[in-house]
Amino acid sequence: MRHGTLVGLFLAVALSGCSSAGTTPSEHTLTLSVASGNSQTATRNTVLGADFVVKLVDQVGAPVAGKSVTWGVVFGGGSLAPTTAITDANGLAVTRYTLGPFLGSQTITASVSGATAATFTATATGGSIALVSVTPMPTGATYHHDTFVRDGIAFVCAWNAGIRIYDVGNGVAGGSPSNPKLLSSIITAVNGVPGGVSAHNAWWFQNPTNGQKKYLFVGQEGFGSVPSASSGDIHIVDVSNLAAPVEVGFIHVAGAGTHNFWMDEAHQLLYAAYYNGGVIAVDVSGTLAGDMSNRIIAQNLPGGTGRTYVWGVTLSNGTLYAIDMVSGFWALDPTTLAIKGGGSNVEERYGSDLAVNAGFAYTGTWGTRSGVRGNAIKIWTLNPSTGVPTLVDSLLIPNITTVSDVAISPDGKLLVATAEGGAGNGLYIFERSNPRSPTLVSSYLVAEGLHTGEVAVVNGHTYVFAAHDPSNPSMMIFDITGIVP
Amino acid sequence: MALPAQSAFQLRTMGQAILVSDHVNATPNGGPLTEVHVVQPVITSIADLMHGRLQATATLNLESVTMPEGELALGGWGEGFVDRRHPHTTVHELTLATRDLLGHLDGAGRLGVVVGKGFVPYGSDDPMSRPMVHFPVNHHLSQIIERAVAIVQYDLGPVTVEGALFNGDEPEHPSQWPLIRTPEGTWRFGDSWSGRMTVRPVAALELQASYAKVHEPERRAGGVLDVHRTSASARWDDPSVRSGRYLMAEWARTSEFDGQLGFSSVLAEGQVSRNRWRAAYRFERTERPEEDRLFDPFHAKRPAPDNSIIGISRWTLHTVHLAADLLQTQRAIQVTPFVEFTAGTVTKVGDGIFDPRAWYGGNAVRQLSVGLVLDHGMRGHRMGRYGVLAAMDMMHDH
Repeated sequence: MRHGTLVGLFLAVALSGCSSAGTTPSEHTLTLSVASGNSQTATRNTVLGADFVVKLVDQVGAPVAGKSVTWGVVFGGGSLAPTTAITDANGLAVTRYTLGPFLGSQTITASVSGATAATFTATATGGSIALVSVTPMPTGATYHHDTFVRDGIAFVCAWNAGIRIYDVGNGVAGGSPSNPKLLSSIITAVNGVPGGVSAHNAWWFQNPTNGQKKYLFVGQEGFGSVPSASSGDIHIVDVSNLAAPVEVGFIHVAGAGTHNFWMDEAHQLLYAAYYNGGVIAVDVSGTLAGDMSNRIIAQNLPGGTGRTYVWGVTLSNGTLYAIDMVSGFWALDPTTLAIKGGGSNVEERYGSDLAVNAGFAYTGTWGTRSGVRGNAIKIWTLNPSTGVPTLVDSLLIPNITTVSDVAISPDGKLLVATAEGGAGNGLYIFERSNPRSPTLVSSYLVAEGLHTGEVAVVNGHTYVFAAHDPSNPSMMIFDITGIVP
Repeated sequence: MALPAQSAFQLRTMGQAILVSDHVNATPNGGPLTEVHVVQPVITSIADLMHGRLQATATLNLESVTMPEGELALGGWGEGFVDRRHPHTTVHELTLATRDLLGHLDGAGRLGVVVGKGFVPYGSDDPMSRPMVHFPVNHHLSQIIERAVAIVQYDLGPVTVEGALFNGDEPEHPSQWPLIRTPEGTWRFGDSWSGRMTVRPVAALELQASYAKVHEPERRAGGVLDVHRTSASARWDDPSVRSGRYLMAEWARTSEFDGQLGFSSVLAEGQVSRNRWRAAYRFERTERPEEDRLFDPFHAKRPAPDNSIIGISRWTLHTVHLAADLLQTQRAIQVTPFVEFTAGTVTKVGDGIFDPRAWYGGNAVRQLSVGLVLDHGMRGHRMGRYGVLAAMDMMHDH
């Protein structure tokens, strides 16, 4: 067909113009090859049972002695002894590898001048990330954004499908992390917010003063434009009967919308990040019903108007920490929300989530700011008396643009991060034996990305309840028990 | 107006492909970039059946093969691509239309019905049918394409009224077909609708106004978001005079999130033709949503994981296009070298964090394209017009 010929002609021209590959003659006269020791398996952080041995020969296959071989770890974080070795009369050079902490395949190279490098791999075993269940969101649910897990109950924030309450080990319905059982669901009110229900995050308030487990606070994330606009209320849902939740009230801040929460349950205070509305503190004592906006007792925009877009808050050791996408990491007074310190301390990237534990904090980064991608986890030390953060280091995750969530396991041993935006999308686990310098021990790549990862212990096992990004939003539950003994 | 008499079956096939080298002075997080692609490689077959009472249209678009990662385009966006125009779906059109369903029963009026995959009756002509090689920034504000669509048209005298139902979701990749119904049973076909009125006060002048409500265009599974699009345009095309003249001006606006978010566009373009030569100019000022980008900065996450944007950019672009038909073979294949140059600015609208200077190194943007159009019968074909509109075009051709 002449039209096909026409198009084919163009294709041929285009492809021929775009593909030109040449070959470069090898200048190497020596050959370095793996002699023995490749493909060993052992527990991570232990010495392999056998040496890595390479053999160097010349162009006629005769051993070459007296050449210096350099050993290097490409991936895995282990160590080599020695790092350089001289070939013997048989052309052999030897080293011994101690596996690094990263689970799975680790890569080591041997190189010598005038020869192509030889590559060894070794497999590190140990506790690993195990995906135990995937729970799809219901028909029409556009996203799964976040999960709040407590007492074996998972509150899944399923955007336009509202809140879905699962037994994941509570016992009330025989559910478990590997087999979550849906108890009920509720579609919270729209309240006129552009974007609809947009159930984004939740906190199940367990009031130590009266023993009630009555209220679930639900964040609604409506339309927003960083850093100037946001919308969405805090919805108050009575979950006294988990099988029949009922919305009873709401909290509204004019001109702003809520994001992540934290609670000082002992003092019956709810703290909410409110994007361009800064941070608010709400008295949630007693009975909650109707419009509870008058319970807001403090509000502060730490970065000031136009430079405030607060993602999350966490209370720790008498200081309320707030991570602002634009203006950095802040320490606030938990009563007045007055600034204690911090701010303007992450200028090259936008901030995202935060996690705080025992004098250290970790904050994620988001999107692309002036060409710099949000692929970093910022590590902070917290002044023991003032609480003010000091940036001490960063972790970088390759091939992503956003660290969308950071969390610390209840035992404090693990730092958990979720990632989005590139080929590195997924779940990352770091050990915190040195909290100033956490070490990556395992990762689980998820093609479309994970938006959040809530860490919770259920019946003795540690799980990450992750929100799988669209196009097929789901709750992915990972068992990370035993990754760090 | 009576339709011209036709034989029982007629088949017309046309096609084109454009070999183009694009040079853009500013790309996201980088400097200049030059690429060579074959763009708009399409083959269209139009079959007139039953003496012209039925018309089937099929268009195959091979951009998924020739430009799978898109085409460099100033301000280009849509379907997850940014600063690139995305490849269109391989089956670009596949429609069946009646052009005068009631025949003489409705007198001079003509009732048309169209079903299939194709263009929604909304907005102006597809950019592929217009003088410039490169699509304008407003493509996603001024056309709605590649949907499963059912159209009812009525044409009487100088007025044509159209109404359509279609699926709101845009394609996610070139091999995808429109989703009629989700696996969970939610209908996507029919969740969106449009209406367009076209008036032709004189033969060469065409005025149109249209509106479309598009449900959750960026999420195939549906959701809650309704996007409202409005378009108005005036088109003057008088090929009968020795120096062909074409003029078109349009305004379009898209509104989302209950009006919290809106993007507007104004565009005007014209072309004069004389002998082998054609010269064209286009001005447009179009606003574009800016979203968080992926590791590959030519892409944004789709569907986005929330309701937020990071800003709005405004693209003010002037484009000139000069082309000359090199030869015209007996088989009516036209070979037309062209040069196209676009210059303008990209600026920030409002106070979002998107800063064009950070992304592009400045506000001034330029694109120079040179290439070659191979065409067989596509020139003058107004893609996406079916039923009574196609009949009208055919009569003008006659």
